[in-house]
This record gives sequence, C-alpha cells and structure tokens, in this order.
Amino acid sequence: MRASLAFALVRGTLASSRWRLALTLASIALGVALAAAVHTVHSSALAEIDRAARALSGTADLEIRGPRNGFDDALFVQVASRLEVAVASPIVEIEAPLEGRDETIRILGIDPLRAMRLQPAFVAQAASTGAGEAGTLLDAHAAWLSPAAAARLRLHEGQMLRVLAGVTTREFRVAGVLPGLQAVGDLAVIDIAAAQDGFARVGRLSRIDLRLRPGVDGARFRAVLHALLPPGVVIEVPASVGERAAGITRAYRVNLDALALVALATGAFLVFSTLALQAARRRHEFALLRALGVSRRGLSALLALEGAILGAIGSALGMALGLLGSRTLLRRSGADLGAGYFSGHEGVFAPDPAALGAIALLGIGVSTLAAWWVARSVGRMAVAEALRDRAVDVAPASPWSVLLGATLAAAGMPLLFLPPIAGLPLGGYAAIALWLAASVAFVAPICRGILARVAPESNPIAALAFAQVRQLPGHLAASVAGIVVSASLCVAMAIMVHSFRVSLAHWLQGVVGADLYVRAASGGDSGYFTPEEQGRISALPGFAQVQWLHFDRLVLDGQATPVTLIARPVDERILEGFLAEPPGLPKRTDDVSVWVSEAARDLHGWRPGSRIELPIAGRRVPVRVHAVIRDYARTWGAVIMPLAEYRRITGDGTANDAAIFLAPGMDSRRAEAAIRAALPGARALLFEDAGDLRTRSLAIFDRSFAVTYALEAIAIAIGLAGVTSSFAALAWSRRREFGVLRFMGLSRREILRMLALGGAAAGALGAALGFASGTAISLVLVHVVNRQSFHWTIEVYWPVTALAALLAAIVASCAAGARMSGAAAVRHEAVMAVKDDA
Amino acid sequence: MLEVHGLAKSFGGQPLFQAIDLDVAAGEWVAVVGESGSGKSTLLNIVAGIDRPDRGTVRLGETALDYGDDDALSAWRRRNVGFVFQAFHLLPYLDVEENVALPLALLGEARAPRLERARAMLASMGLTGFERRKPTSLSGGEAQRAAIARALVHRPALLLADEPTGNLDEANAAIVLDCLARAVRESGAAALMVTHSTLAAGRADRIVRLARGRLRTA
Repeated sequence: MRASLAFALVRGTLASSRWRLALTLASIALGVALAAAVHTVHSSALAEIDRAARALSGTADLEIRGPRNGFDDALFVQVASRLEVAVASPIVEIEAPLEGRDETIRILGIDPLRAMRLQPAFVAQAASTGAGEAGTLLDAHAAWLSPAAAARLRLHEGQMLRVLAGVTTREFRVAGVLPGLQAVGDLAVIDIAAAQDGFARVGRLSRIDLRLRPGVDGARFRAVLHALLPPGVVIEVPASVGERAAGITRAYRVNLDALALVALATGAFLVFSTLALQAARRRHEFALLRALGVSRRGLSALLALEGAILGAIGSALGMALGLLGSRTLLRRSGADLGAGYFSGHEGVFAPDPAALGAIALLGIGVSTLAAWWVARSVGRMAVAEALRDRAVDVAPASPWSVLLGATLAAAGMPLLFLPPIAGLPLGGYAAIALWLAASVAFVAPICRGILARVAPESNPIAALAFAQVRQLPGHLAASVAGIVVSASLCVAMAIMVHSFRVSLAHWLQGVVGADLYVRAASGGDSGYFTPEEQGRISALPGFAQVQWLHFDRLVLDGQATPVTLIARPVDERILEGFLAEPPGLPKRTDDVSVWVSEAARDLHGWRPGSRIELPIAGRRVPVRVHAVIRDYARTWGAVIMPLAEYRRITGDGTANDAAIFLAPGMDSRRAEAAIRAALPGARALLFEDAGDLRTRSLAIFDRSFAVTYALEAIAIAIGLAGVTSSFAALAWSRRREFGVLRFMGLSRREILRMLALGGAAAGALGAALGFASGTAISLVLVHVVNRQSFHWTIEVYWPVTALAALLAAIVASCAAGARMSGAAAVRHEAVMAVKDDA
Repeated sequence: MLEVHGLAKSFGGQPLFQAIDLDVAAGEWVAVVGESGSGKSTLLNIVAGIDRPDRGTVRLGETALDYGDDDALSAWRRRNVGFVFQAFHLLPYLDVEENVALPLALLGEARAPRLERARAMLASMGLTGFERRKPTSLSGGEAQRAAIARALVHRPALLLADEPTGNLDEANAAIVLDCLARAVRESGAAALMVTHSTLAAGRADRIVRLARGRLRTA
C-alpha cells in the first residue's frame, strides 16, 4: 500500500471517533506521564546527590571515611606524610540538629588552608581573598553557609546559626555565604578545631580527602593505603557517593517505577479495546481493501501504523506532562516521594534522557503491540463473508486461551525461586508479569464459563444482560482485561501493605515497650547524653527503670552502606519484641553475643552461631551471632550489642536515647517535667510516649505508601475508563438491538438497567479474576519481592473490609459507567436505529 | 380492533400527514403503500407507540394509547404488539429458539413452557431443527421466518410489519408472505404492513395508499 493512501486511511480513522480517541490518548499519556515523572524525580535527586558529592570533593582523587563517631586523627599524619599524596584535607562531618526546628544541617569542619587546595569554593573568592577570608574560617565561632542553607534558614552575615551538640546549643556567627557551594545543598563550614571541640570529636576525624601526585597509580595506592587503615575505615573514590545512593535506593526506585508502568500497561488494554472496536466497525472497509488487492501483511501494517501513531502522540503528550509534573513537584516539595530516601533533597530538575526515551518507546511499543494483536484478528478475516456481513462484532477469543493461560501461570512458578539479581527481585517481577498475562488470557474463557452457568431465568432483563456479556466481544474482553490487571495489582498491594502495616504494628508493640522515650535531639549525629546527665535522669524519683541506647554506624570493608549498631540493654522482653530467632538469651560465655537483623543476615551472610568481627572504635572486635531479629526500621542491616559490652570495648559512655519505665503513679507529663528540670540547659530534648511513638511510626509508614496508593488509583481509573468506553461503544453499536427491544416492549429504563447489569457483570468478573490473581501476586510481593528488596519478613493479613470495598467499587463503577454510556444510545430514536445500515 | 382517528404528524415544521383515519379488524391484513418519504413507517411507529403523533388517537380494542407514559406504553406494546422488521433484527447473542421465545420471557413466562411454544412457532414456520442455531447462520428467508415467529409467539392483538420482504429475493419473499398470511389468519391478529413491493401488497386483504398527507384506499 502506498504511504500516502495509508496515511489518508489512518487520518480518517483517527478523526472519526474523537472522544474515544481522546480517551485512548489520555490513557497512554497518563501512563507515560506517571512513569516519566516518578523516574525524573528520582534521577534528579540522585543527580543532585552526585553533584553535591563531587562539588564537595572538588579535585580530590580519593576519600577516606569511617564510622559515625569518626576515627583517630593520628591516621591523618600517617596518610598525609605519604610521598604519593600531594594534598590531604582532614574533615569532621556532623549532621547537627537545628535548635528549635525539626531539621538538621550538615556541618563540615575543615582545615581551610588545606581544604581550599582541593575545593577552592570552601573559601569565598579565593583568588582575590587569599588569607583574609581563610582567616575568618579559623575563627572558632564563625560559620560560612552554602547558598541553599542561607536561603532555607533565612540567615545572613552577622546572624547566629544555632545547632545542638549533646543536649546543649552551640552558636556560630554567620560570617557569610560561599557562592561556590551552590550545588552542595544545605551546608555550613566551620573550622575543624571548632568542630572537634564543639561536638565532642576531639582527636577524631570523619573523612580525609586526598589528591595524589601526578603519575601515581590510584588503584594501587588505594590497595596500599587499605592495608594501613584501621577496621571500620574505608577508602573510596568520591564518585562512589552517588553510586552508593543509587544502590541504597535501587530497590525502592525500581518498585515505584514498576508500579507507574502498571498504569501504562492498563492503558494498553484501552488501546487494544479501542482498536478492536474500530476494526470491528471497519470490517467491511478492510474486506474491501483485501478484495482490491491489499495483502494481509499490508493490512496488518496499516493497523500497526495506527497503533504506533496513537502511541507516539500519547507518549509525546505524556512525556510533556510528566516532565512538567516532576519539575513542579521538585520545586514545590523536593525529591522525596514519601519513603524518606530523598528527604531534604531539593532535586534540581535533571531528567535522564536515556530512561525517558525508553519510557516513550515503551508507550509507543505497547500501543503498537495492541494494534498488532488486533491486526492478527483482522488478518484472519474471511474476505467474502466480511463483504456481506455488516455485523459489528469482532473475532472471539482464541480457543487456545486456556492453554496459554495455564502455560504462562506454570512458567512463573520456578521464577519465584531465583535469587536476587543486582539486589533486585527480578525473578519475582517476571513471575508477576507472567501471572498477570495468564489472568488476561483467562478472561474470555472464564467469563463464558461462569456466565454459562449463571442464568437468571426469572429476570429477563438480567438474562439479556448476561447473554450480551457472555458473548463478550473482543473489545469488551480487552477492557475487562484492563480491569483485571489494575484490580490484580490493587488487591496485591492492598494485601501486601496491610500485611506489612499489621506486622509493623505488632513489631512496634513489642519493641516500643517502655512508657516514655527521650532523645537528645530529634535527628542528626550530634545529640547525646553525657554519663553525668544519664546519672541525673536515672536517679529521678518515679522512674522504675531507665534503659540507655547508643547508636553507631559501622563501615564494613567492601560494603556500600554502613550497618547500624544499637548498643542497649538486652533482656528477654526486648528479644521477644524483636522476634529473635532462636529466642532467649545466650548461656554465659566469653564471647560477646550480638543479634543481627534479617537484612544484615541476608547482606553479609551472618547466621546464628557464626563468629564474625565488627569494626568498632578502630578495632576488629570478635563477636558471636546469637540470633536473628526482625528490624523494620533499618533496610541495610542492624546489630544489637549489650550496652555494657559496647562501653567496655569503646570506653564511650555517651547515650543518644533513653527508654523509661515509669513507676506506678507516675505519668509521662510529670516525667517530662522532671527531666527538663534536671537538665535545664537541654532545650531540644524530644519526648514521646509509647503510644505517640507507635502512632508516628505508622504515620511515616502510611506516608511512604501514599504515592503507591495514588499510582494504584490511577491504574484503576484507567481500567474503569476502558470499561466505560467499551460499554459506550457496545451500547452505540447495539442501538439497533435496543430499538428492537423497545419495539418488543422494553422501556428506556429497562434497557438502561440491562446495560447496568451487563456492566456490573463485566465488572464483577473483572473484579473476581483480579481478586484471585491479586491474591496470588500478593504472596509473591510478601515472600519474594519484599524479602529480596528490603529483607523483611512479613506475616500475611487480609484487609477484608478494604478488599470488599474495592471490589464493590469496581462493580458499581462499571455498572454506573455502562448505564451512563448507554444513555445516549437509548435516547437516540429507536425507529432511526433499527433502520440504520451502519 | 385497531382504530386510528385524526392522526397528524409533522417533521421540522413540515406536515407529514394530516387527519389520517384507519380501521383494521381482527384477522384483517392491511398493506400501506406510498412513495418514499410519504410517512408510511412513521404511521407504523405511531401505531406501535414508538413515535408520538401531533394530534389524533390510536385505540387497540378498548385501550387508547397514552403517549405521555413510556412505561405504560412499553408494557402495552409488550403484551399486544408483534413487530417484523425489514432487516429481521434477531439478537446475535441468542440462538433462534431463544430469539423466538424472547417476547414470552419479557412477559414473565417460565423457561420450559416458553421454549416449547417457541419450538411450536418455529415448526409452523417450517424451521424445525433450527432451534439451536445462531441467527448469523440463517439465510435471509429463514431469518425473516424466525422473526415472524418471534412477532407472533405471544399471540399479540396487533401485528406490524415494516417492509418484511425488503431484504429478500423473490422466492424467499413469496415464502415469507405465505407464512405471514397463514400466521395472520391463524392468530386472528390485526395486521398492518408497510411495503414498496407490489407482490407483498397484493397478498394483503386491503391496500391503502399514503400520499400527500392523506390515506386513501388503493
């Protein structure tokens, strides 16, 4: 077929049903927009993290970093004196809570004369300033802010920056803004001695940045230096910061991307439904083209072209919408979509062209695939019959559907047992995709099978409605399939999220056992209680028991992310709360016993009974893993160690949190007042009773899934739009039948009721299939995807009310949509309808 | 049986017909002929209660049609009218037997008896053995005979036919007309048929012509 003729035919077709075309384009556009927006927000956040890290590291070739409490600064002398090192810059890095705000700021304590050789931006206008500005930096009470920090905190030169160290406030006079640190986000730069002194880091460093002399082999030198480093201190290239952030968030980002793509997949069914209906209407036209000599392949190409054009227009619209949406979201609320991985990151708009191109191609691809599937049916058309037959119906489902569905379902089973690949549960995702495809293949045969057995003999209206749905024209089957896909995922996510929430709530009930919790600060690294402060609090009347907790971050060799060390009193009660397996306390031994989280077990291979070494306070400390605990708070692993053992090993008597068990007759309010009176200088203490803490934790959980719920709702809406559209088409194509039924004595109201019943039947079938498929998929999400992505064990709980409401809403929406969409066909004069030749 | 008195109808301000009077007795078959656009089908639709006259009355037996109440009209039509269309209009998702039984289902008759009656009607139309077939597998003549069976299965008082042979060749048209004639005779329904076909009109008991807004005996 000539291209000009092909385009003329396509143009005519697309212009002939504008509202349905608009709906189809909207569904593709929405799917592409969601995927593009989610991906762009995340890519912008990662780009910002990477840019900030590179901006901070300046011209450094390597960086040495250690645990949360830092490492001995004696290492600096060893490293800086190496011949291979041209410049070595020591850094103390602290995440300090801001006084009076529930936020933190990153503080870098630097040696300005060394630091400016690696990153001139640390000193304002270094070329023209020389020692003047650098001299200001040596002032122990001065701080220089990044432009972002100055804007967010609304601070300018001469004003005071107030942060918390321990439980007291440290003040720094803002000496100015460093314009060269535009890309680093919120940051304050102070003198390194002031940082060490002010934040109890005397003799400690967080980081050493190095620039090597020209000609030095960086990789070899890394290996050499690695041998000198104490346990818990690692050496990396600066670029790995961005890679680390990407690795930490990969599972979360991929899960969210997959969910966004579900909306696109649901839209694909709407595309199929529209094209199938168009094909049915144009059966005569296609038969004519075939009779005139157009080959099957030419006809298929024509349909595929229509699909590709629809996909291209939809993808273009969606991409524009997605980019606009992500840009707006980044400006208004930053890069965090609820899970907290990117909280605090503004995210300068930085789309990833390659990924967006792939998403756009996916939009075109699903549309073209839908068109090609329709083309297969058209290609099988018997030309002679079609030339005579003006009936508006499409090819029924293949008799092989059941076999295909069973094959797809069976093929998914072994994938469940695949281990994670690059930390992603690809086997689980593939199994889910296969089971969704199987459920789609089952739609037509199951619909026919169920409806053949449901014959409401006593109600002729219902009997007619079911008879119509039983036949299930191809375009309606596709729309029901769209409902099945979106309902499956909604049901699966509802069960998974509910199971997770209930498991979390039970876990919180166990681990949040004290009456009152006190934190030195709401966030950051610099809040702590000294031993003397702990003694004052512990001695207060009305406190039955005070348990102190200390947190550290352990940097393990070759691992991208640190493990959290929780030093706390360990007893039967807390182990039961953490669901330790095996349960109970160890028998008395010489070993230091620790309890590791499921994530630590999966990521590091630490099993009960194994002996491992942990890098604590610059030493390799041998410990024995006694049991595995459940820990929903930390994705990258946690280790619980008895506080007494930790203090013996490190000599560090500070604590970050207190868990207080009140004596009978004492309440939280009076306890809080007593503690505040005991520590009058501590203005930033955070008090939470057990109930508040559990409530807040669950609120964070709910917020983290808000985006998930929104994506599911959009997928369902697209599915419902598809069913409504199909019923509208069905109603319009059957208006002659409605006319006949009117002549036979059905009232308009009865015909609309028939349509509503048909819609309800289709919706009920879709919802039921979606429920069955979604239940199976939920088990994959719980036992495979979640386990492999986040290493959490979750018990399965059934949100019966929510599921019933969801399924009822689907049925009601389909019924209402079908009724509404049929109203126009029924309003049309029946007499004209029965005489219609179209 | 059927009394039409003073019927008038306009479209777009243009009068289609004015003051039409027509009586059809029980068992009588009347053919309405006329040029295209003369209003023949409109007359039929008004009599069926599908369309609404500007003026005039339609009575079937003791009942005068109330055009203001769609539910009541529909219920009346369900009980009293059988309609045969030019394009047959059998529902494609029901088999032939179910199509024929549909009027009885709409009247609330139980499944077994209504299917039995449908089979009897099909037999009277020479369609024994066609019960389980789908409408799309029938020839034009077979489909129209099935449609006639459907129109009469519930023994309506009034049979309306709009160009019943319009889509048929001569041979099939003759067969269908034979069936129609026999069916009207046996059922005792008053039958009103609109047609362009002289063959079809010739089979009726009486022919009337609708021309320039008036109905006259042809």
